Amino acid sequence: MRLLRNLARRRLRTSLTITGITIGIWALVVFSSMANKVDALVSGGSDYYAGKIVVSDGGFGGIGGQPMPIGQLAEIAAIDGVDLVVPTVAMIASDIQGVSFGPPDQIQAFPFGADQGRETYVPQLAQGRSLTAEDEGRDVAVLGTSIAAKRSVGVGDTIVLHERNFEVVGVLEPTLSTPDTTIVVPFTVGQQLVHEDLPSVIRDGVSADQLATAFIVYPAADANDAAVASAIEARFPGVNALTGDAYDASVGSSVGVFNSIIVGIGLVSLIVGGLSVINTMAMSVAERTREIGVKRAIGATRRRIIRELMVEAGVIGAIGGILGVAFGALVVVLVNEAGRSSGTVLFELTTGTALFAFAFSTILGVVAGIIPAWSAARLDPVAALRYE
Amino acid sequence: MTILEARNLRKTYRVSRSNTVEALRGVGVTIDEGEMVAIMGPSGSGKSTLTHVLGLLHKPDPNHGPAPELLFDGQPVTDLSDRQRTKIRATAMGFVFQAFNLVPTLSAIDNVALAAEYAGTSRSKARDAAGESLELVGLADRASHRPTELSGGEQQRVAIARALVNRPRLVIGDEPTGNLDSARSADILRLLRRLNRDHRQTFVIVTHDPEVGAACDRTIRMRDGLVVSDGRSATAAVA
Repeated sequence: MRLLRNLARRRLRTSLTITGITIGIWALVVFSSMANKVDALVSGGSDYYAGKIVVSDGGFGGIGGQPMPIGQLAEIAAIDGVDLVVPTVAMIASDIQGVSFGPPDQIQAFPFGADQGRETYVPQLAQGRSLTAEDEGRDVAVLGTSIAAKRSVGVGDTIVLHERNFEVVGVLEPTLSTPDTTIVVPFTVGQQLVHEDLPSVIRDGVSADQLATAFIVYPAADANDAAVASAIEARFPGVNALTGDAYDASVGSSVGVFNSIIVGIGLVSLIVGGLSVINTMAMSVAERTREIGVKRAIGATRRRIIRELMVEAGVIGAIGGILGVAFGALVVVLVNEAGRSSGTVLFELTTGTALFAFAFSTILGVVAGIIPAWSAARLDPVAALRYE
Repeated sequence: MTILEARNLRKTYRVSRSNTVEALRGVGVTIDEGEMVAIMGPSGSGKSTLTHVLGLLHKPDPNHGPAPELLFDGQPVTDLSDRQRTKIRATAMGFVFQAFNLVPTLSAIDNVALAAEYAGTSRSKARDAAGESLELVGLADRASHRPTELSGGEQQRVAIARALVNRPRLVIGDEPTGNLDSARSADILRLLRRLNRDHRQTFVIVTHDPEVGAACDRTIRMRDGLVVSDGRSATAAVA
């Protein structure tokens, strides 16, 4: 109570300082939430690519590249170190595309059970069921959570893709990664969609059932992924074989830089906040010189003076931290809610981030209070008593 | 019984690079328990400096002239650390200043309780002691008022309550009536005198005011950093 009255005594200055810290913590929370989201995307990708090689002809992960003849499957399977090859088709779900942060909405298909249990990256179902062999040839789909939310559809509803009506049979749990924006359809249906989407000159030369856009290669247990990838690329000039490690190296490091930059922005604003705590406390010490002199004269130890002032600075930091986390969380929730309809989920605020931001702010306040508190404790009580 | 015994107290302040002030030039005083002593003298005579040294706020200079000696309650205190001197100030001494010097954000009772807390009393007991101390100075009904809501005389009575809350052996007053009009000043003086008589507390009071001097048992007169006279006040015996 005494402490709050001390802070209230210099209401304007204290509130400006708290505002400074609030903005710093706000920035840290918002930027860290953005970094969390990017991290989730990347680690999702990293999990997906782990232990496999994705072979495509241009594009990324089979999207936006040239279609590949399914006949190449046997040739790839014959390469040393290849255990299993699964054909897949993927395409951008262009008719429901919105402005999006992260991967585009996509349609994906692969033959049911073709991975023979080798696929480890299997998103969980939130409702309904996954596709089965009996679904081949039927217009049914399992939706990623973002697409289901964006389209406001659930199991039993109908979704229109490339002018065809699909029955929704399942919706996936959120992963914060690519599966959230993916529509899974039966393989033959996926082939038809890709085929219809081809430019007519090419379309007339191939049949739908001969199409794939990428092959997922599961290397043998003892094979070197990088060597297998090189062998595939050597065998098919122009084809890109991406291993898990190569994905981590190319995407992970650039995302790491991006994350460092955005967290760095948050930290810089906090340093400014910390300096303003030092300033406020130094001013407060100067203003209370006489009071500190009296307290020392009537028996307050140096340690006690230091403690009083550091606790006061810590409270400034803690209030700024609470407000910063609160406003940060508000922005995260509001922007995510506003973006959900268009599938743009920008932020992920974790409990860890919130606690870190609050603790950081409090510690920042205490640390910033050290110098002014120390100089206050060093005051000569007699000189301080005479101070006007 | 002697509560304070001082010999060879010297104190030189450096006021600028080439200019120093010899505030005390070898002062010796002895103050008995239960005495009420006035220290008088013109501005710059060293009387405030003497109370700062006697009140353990400053150490006497050790390095020129004969070694200084200062005994509080029979114990030598010149070589104590800041922490030890702070502890004696907190538990065995009380201070009253000319400018009252209350903490403006705290109520009267909290100002008084603060001194008790510094002496190591728990917060709730400190408040009880503060209440009693305010009653002693006749301000129990103003306990929850802030300093700005009190008159000068009332503020000084809160300051006196603060100085008395730990039942100190020695109370040092630096011009305690200096900021008050003569009626208020007489009130405060009567209060100090009563506390001195009723509780056998020792008072050392720096003052310009001859009436204050006259009300004390003894007046120590200073000039240019030296004690020029130290004797019983003629009127005090009658008062």
